[in-house]
Amino acid sequence: MSGSSSSGRKSPMHSVFQSKKSISFTEKAKDSLKKGHAGANQSRMGVSRNLIIVPEMKMTEKVNVASTKIIQVLDKNGVDVTPRPLYCADLHAAKPNKLLSSQEGLLSSDILASYSMYQNTMNRSTMGQFTRSALGSSTVSKSSMSTTVSMAEDLEEPSYKHEKLASFTDMRVMRAAPETAITKEDLEKNIEILLTETDTLRFFDLPTVMISVESEEAEKVIHRNNKYETLCRNRAGNDLYVERMMQTFNGAPKNKDVQCDKIILEDQGVMATAWDLYDSYNALELALAAKPSAVDSSSKANALSKDRDHTLPGSATDKTSETSSLMDLESVILTKVHEDEEDHADTIMKSDKFLQDLFFMERVLMENIFQPKLAAYRQLPVLKEPEPGEPEDVLEGEKVEEVEEVKKEEEEEIEISTEQSTIPANLERLWSFSCDLTKGLNVSSLAWNKTNPDLLAVGYGHFGFKEQRRGLACCWSIKNPMWPERVYPSPYGVTAVDFSIGTPNLLAVGYYNGTIAIYNVQSSSNVPVLDSSESPQKHVGPVWQLQWIEQDRGSTGDDKREFLVSISADGRISKWVIRKGLDSHDLMRLKRTTISSNKKGDKEKKGEALISRQAPGMCFAFHPKDTNIYLVGTEEGHIHKCSCSYNEQYLETYRRHKGPVYKVTWNPFCPDTFLSCSADWGIMVWQQEHLQPFLSFYPTTHVVYDVAWSPKSSYIFAAANESRVEIWDLQMSTLDPLIVNIANPGIKFTTVLFAKHTDCLLVGDSDGQVAVYELRNMPSASDSGRGDTINALLGCKSNQPG
Amino acid sequence: MTEVEETLKRIQSHKGVIGTMVVNAEGIPIRTTLDNSTTVQYAGLLHQLTMKARSTIRDIDPQNDLTFLRIRSKKHEIMVAPDKEYLLIVIQNPCE
Repeated sequence: MSGSSSSGRKSPMHSVFQSKKSISFTEKAKDSLKKGHAGANQSRMGVSRNLIIVPEMKMTEKVNVASTKIIQVLDKNGVDVTPRPLYCADLHAAKPNKLLSSQEGLLSSDILASYSMYQNTMNRSTMGQFTRSALGSSTVSKSSMSTTVSMAEDLEEPSYKHEKLASFTDMRVMRAAPETAITKEDLEKNIEILLTETDTLRFFDLPTVMISVESEEAEKVIHRNNKYETLCRNRAGNDLYVERMMQTFNGAPKNKDVQCDKIILEDQGVMATAWDLYDSYNALELALAAKPSAVDSSSKANALSKDRDHTLPGSATDKTSETSSLMDLESVILTKVHEDEEDHADTIMKSDKFLQDLFFMERVLMENIFQPKLAAYRQLPVLKEPEPGEPEDVLEGEKVEEVEEVKKEEEEEIEISTEQSTIPANLERLWSFSCDLTKGLNVSSLAWNKTNPDLLAVGYGHFGFKEQRRGLACCWSIKNPMWPERVYPSPYGVTAVDFSIGTPNLLAVGYYNGTIAIYNVQSSSNVPVLDSSESPQKHVGPVWQLQWIEQDRGSTGDDKREFLVSISADGRISKWVIRKGLDSHDLMRLKRTTISSNKKGDKEKKGEALISRQAPGMCFAFHPKDTNIYLVGTEEGHIHKCSCSYNEQYLETYRRHKGPVYKVTWNPFCPDTFLSCSADWGIMVWQQEHLQPFLSFYPTTHVVYDVAWSPKSSYIFAAANESRVEIWDLQMSTLDPLIVNIANPGIKFTTVLFAKHTDCLLVGDSDGQVAVYELRNMPSASDSGRGDTINALLGCKSNQPG
Repeated sequence: MTEVEETLKRIQSHKGVIGTMVVNAEGIPIRTTLDNSTTVQYAGLLHQLTMKARSTIRDIDPQNDLTFLRIRSKKHEIMVAPDKEYLLIVIQNPCE
């Protein structure tokens, strides 16, 4: 054990050491700093030397001047890798050592002993160097002076250890109290101390940077290295390097209050909705698009900008697109109008959009009012309105009611289905198209629009010569049964109406004075688009029937051309073509026919002063399959079969009726059969090949004004005579009509028309009402619509004289 | 103009119609068949509802817009035709 290891390297230290016997830290303060360090170093080294055998490291002791040993560490190659001291005690510096001064009176041998003992029990790992040095010093317990010195050395460790020492000294102080006085013998006892090495603690690691000797920086680095070495050598006693402690002054903080006006905070929120973003981004685009679309819509509309733009009242999707374009148009219009407060209200009232909205509103109201009827018409399930219940137990009550109603409905339905065979077929009146305008007028013709199944054209005009009054042609929509969509008044009675097939917005109206007018229902103006009143070939008698015909021009390879065919009381059947105005061409002139040439021998009645050689034509019907062939019913009671190719001769003549034939109509399913009705109270079913009818009915003694085949069954047709409407079903009975609906007294039924896709019948009467009836409980036809079945019927009936 | 008046008159006289109102964007009635306080109340409430309905429709698809709004209640049905400038409100009692 290096008992004398506590001595430093330098001789003056040694001498100082020996001269002092008492513990006096202050005296040693100056000198011991340095030597303490060195001594500590040495003591440290001594410990390490003794304890650990590091195979690769040779530790040699440097013998100092007196009896001290200087440790030098050499590695296996003999290179001196002795770590240089990090800290060099300064001989001249006078460091106040608080700890040492405070401990003056406290330290005594017993304290030291206790301290050393305490050291032994210490946690070595935390104390590391310090521990070793302390322990090393404690082994020198033989001389109190050495311990004192070592103590002092230990105490004079670099500053970072002073704090630990402080704690130590405190602890030491505490511990010291209960301890008994330690005698000198105790001190000189041999105490076994075991020393172990702790893990190597790295406090600082500066990795070496290697630079090739040949590199550019090599010289600089070498120069720097040399400089550093000289510096280290010179550092020991150099004036340039002085260690001092400084105390910094912290600025004294001061609180300062400032008062300002209250900052008023307001919360503002905006919800960024998807449409808001869209609007902001597209605002410009909309403004630009408004102008061209305004131009488009105004050109399409063919009307003044303030007028209503109507498409055929039909699908709602068309409405919305029109609405949007109208809105743009409207916005463009509105921006041009100055808006005062008073003008604003007027602007709203005058705006197109407002008109549109009113239009919709009316439709919606109608829908509400007529909902069950319309639903029945459209063959939809009818909504039952829940009865407005009592305020108390409303919910439950209503639910119960509804459940009951549903049950009742089901029961009723079950009953109906079981009793279907017993309840006879009947006509149920749904509603009627009528309004103030049409009151008192006689319905003369009905026609559906070809593309919009909800649009109906009704012509009002009287039949008789003496009853002539003003006439009216109206377009009604199913969606508004209380007011017509279009009203075309005229001074003459309307006798025929028909919608065009190719251009469904054209309505042809025939008048009692023989003129034909064509209206465009898309526009809201009352002026006809075309008029035949100035045509040189206009009719001079009432136009009893109008029909638009599409004819294939197969020979020339053109598309289907459409023309209007009219028949009038002046005996002409004319074909009108729209080519820069109405152009007409006579298809046929109806000649009066004499009695059939059965009696060849008889003289023909010559010399009979005939007023006119023409026979007034009452009606015509083009063959559904072959548009070249048509039937004509005349006032004489004859039905002629004609062809467009011949305009002088009839192909066939069917004579049976005794009075004017008011209507001829082909069976839509069976191409050879047609139906006719006349003023001789008779309805007759004919077959094309036979000149005699095979069925004839004389149900009443009233004139039959109109007949029509049902679009659903080839056996069913409807007939309107003055007093009643009859539905005949040839499959059931050829003697009696299936359904008879009697008119109110004073009202004559004048026209009938079937609705195409529903089971409804429209009946016009002489009071200006068009009633819509639903055919209920019709016996389901076994083979409705099959042409061959009626042939079977014909076959078995052809024997009958008819 | 007369067409508007006619249609409005017809609507007012239809069966079951309790009241008809045309209100401008600020809630001031232009035409109404009900008394002022009721009109103002209806106008205010329906305006908010219309805004909400329109916002809903346009949130789902910004290119779409509200054209008509119908509210059916126990007692009657309120029909609103909204526009930027005005509100057309009709109250009908649909039970025959």
